[in-house]
Amino acid sequence: MRSVGRWITILGIIGLLWGCRPSEPIQEGGPVTLVFKHGQIEGNPAAFQTLLRKFEASHPGILVRDEVLPSSSDQQHQFYIIGLEGRSAEFDLLALDVIWVQEFARAGWIRDLSSLFPPSERGAFFPGPIDAVLFEGRPYAIPWFLDAGLLYYRRDLLEKYRLSPPKEWSDLAAAAQTVARGENDPRLRGFVWQGKQYEGLICNVLEVLWSAGGEVLDERGKVVLASASNREALTFLRNLIGEGRVSPPMVTTADEETTRRLFGEGRALFMRNWPYAWVLFQKEGSAVRGKVGVAPLPHFPGHDSAAALGGWQLGINRFSRHSKEAEALLLYLTSPEVQRTMAIETGYNPTRKALYNDPALAAAQPFTAGLRDLFFSARPRPLSPYYPMLSQIMQPEFSAVLVGIKPPEQALRDAALQMKHLLGEPVR
Amino acid sequence: MRSSARLGYALISPAVLLLTAVALIPIAAALYLSFQKRLPIFQIVRFVGLENYRFLAIDPRFWNSLGNTLYFTLLAVTLELALGLGVALLLDRAFPGRGWIRAIVLLPWAIPTVVSSRIWEWLYNVEFGLFNSLLTEGGVTHGPINWLGDPFWAMHAAILIDVWKSAPFVTILLTAALQTIPRELYLAARVDGAGRWGIFYHIVLPALRPVILVVLLFRTLDAFRVFDAIYVLTGGGPGNTTETLSIYTYKVLFQTLQFGYGATLAVAMFFCVVAISLIYFGLLGRERRGA
Repeated sequence: MRSVGRWITILGIIGLLWGCRPSEPIQEGGPVTLVFKHGQIEGNPAAFQTLLRKFEASHPGILVRDEVLPSSSDQQHQFYIIGLEGRSAEFDLLALDVIWVQEFARAGWIRDLSSLFPPSERGAFFPGPIDAVLFEGRPYAIPWFLDAGLLYYRRDLLEKYRLSPPKEWSDLAAAAQTVARGENDPRLRGFVWQGKQYEGLICNVLEVLWSAGGEVLDERGKVVLASASNREALTFLRNLIGEGRVSPPMVTTADEETTRRLFGEGRALFMRNWPYAWVLFQKEGSAVRGKVGVAPLPHFPGHDSAAALGGWQLGINRFSRHSKEAEALLLYLTSPEVQRTMAIETGYNPTRKALYNDPALAAAQPFTAGLRDLFFSARPRPLSPYYPMLSQIMQPEFSAVLVGIKPPEQALRDAALQMKHLLGEPVR
Repeated sequence: MRSSARLGYALISPAVLLLTAVALIPIAAALYLSFQKRLPIFQIVRFVGLENYRFLAIDPRFWNSLGNTLYFTLLAVTLELALGLGVALLLDRAFPGRGWIRAIVLLPWAIPTVVSSRIWEWLYNVEFGLFNSLLTEGGVTHGPINWLGDPFWAMHAAILIDVWKSAPFVTILLTAALQTIPRELYLAARVDGAGRWGIFYHIVLPALRPVILVVLLFRTLDAFRVFDAIYVLTGGGPGNTTETLSIYTYKVLFQTLQFGYGATLAVAMFFCVVAISLIYFGLLGRERRGA
């Protein structure tokens, strides 16, 4: 009977070990399969597959398997950090949200690309994304696509009241009131934006704070959130919201899609959003087709308009066993030719400046080509490996201000205090 | 005798091994992590003893989320029990199509929470939502109500989803229990001149009590760990007014990678769950002894 117990134990251990056996033995010779993880490719995914097959044809011995992650950026982040903290070599190339590069570089999860991406190469890209991929002066990723916040407006309505697109925030508020009075349409809203407690809220609020000359961290990384200009800007934003005011109460729960739908139904005069909404508004059957214009977001007197930078960068998993091959794929995907094809076929915004003067792109995607100046003004959110934590501190505080349960001054002070605690600055 | 005892050990050893592997080891690992400052991004792994627990005691966000969780649990479970019991009593009467109705009642419980939460999010939407259009067109309210943007409404909106989703679960378990009550008891009570309330109070309720306790145990533990419904609906907003312990723990662990403090939060939650279970087990034990 004793032997029965022993056999069961031995069988159990064998079973456990069997399960732990590496699923993909390291191959000697033969083709290398690169795994490329990224989010869903919108627009024309088939065109993207064609580009990957083209790479395989020009690089014999390398196969590319691309694997799509869930569309939510938070979920992709979670997938990567669990895999990379576990030193997973199951993917080689990865698409990184602009706010992750510092964090992943500091953690040592992605390769230093200094030799692959020397300073001489960087001049061809917009400055915002280049700032975002540099950690302690070294590049850890190459910008792939970019995005920036901008103002959508109803051209027909502004023309009707002989208004020009607003330059300053007070112009926007005044225009919203003029149109609301003139139209007297209870379903028409003024300015809609994204105020739900999530990452998008940070983009919206920072754009307003930056356009008043405010900052979260100064050049040396010290917390300067609780400044007078930030207080005024946040107070202005808070006071926009209300029944019968410039922004409807729905903005405190709105994300990109809710505002895009409202504006797309012709029920808002102004909207802050990313460039993706444009194509949807111009589709056949859209209520606002041909009636929409875009402009940089407004600013406060004496300051410049600011756009939050979004978008995706490509980096290489530090634990990858095929980094040489992954480098080739990275260079290929960020090359002018591939970026041009992607821009034309999928509507993604290239990170290389020169493409915005490209005749083929201008002919196929005139809207994208017109975003050049906007992308020059796009600014990354605070560049710090602590950013995910800083964002977690700011989100509830900003949200509390917008729904009126905390005065702006106190929220900024509370957030600054938590940040100082986190960054190890002296807290008085 | 000795050899049969040995066989017994051998036979339960797979179960013990399995429990150790899937329950005890993870719990011990979480406990161990909770005594560390562990930030993989900064390559920090340091034993800090009780420091995380000292911060827990003064962390306003922890106490806020604990308060939210308790409020959510208390209100949601109370309403679910009341509603579930009511519907179960109705379904206990014989009427044509009862089988169908019983199946339909269970539908909300069968829909994945993330899906139903998305549906509710649109129902609550200020501009497009069904609730506001019904209320304003019916003349009940003047302006639209900002269900998910108002700190008061947001929490109650989340509770309503949980009640909608979980009351059917209560109903089904209680319906099953009701069927075990011998019909003769009702007849005898009626012969003795008992009214409806008398029957409910003296026959139905005592018969249901053990099942109600089990249902409460399930529902309380489930509601205490609520994550998906609220995370999809509000993300914890506005201003953290709907942030529960699970959501806070998730954010600390998976969005900001503070594995040490995140584990501390998870351990705190674990002890809350243990405390709730002990209370119910105590009540159940007394129930059994009393019976």
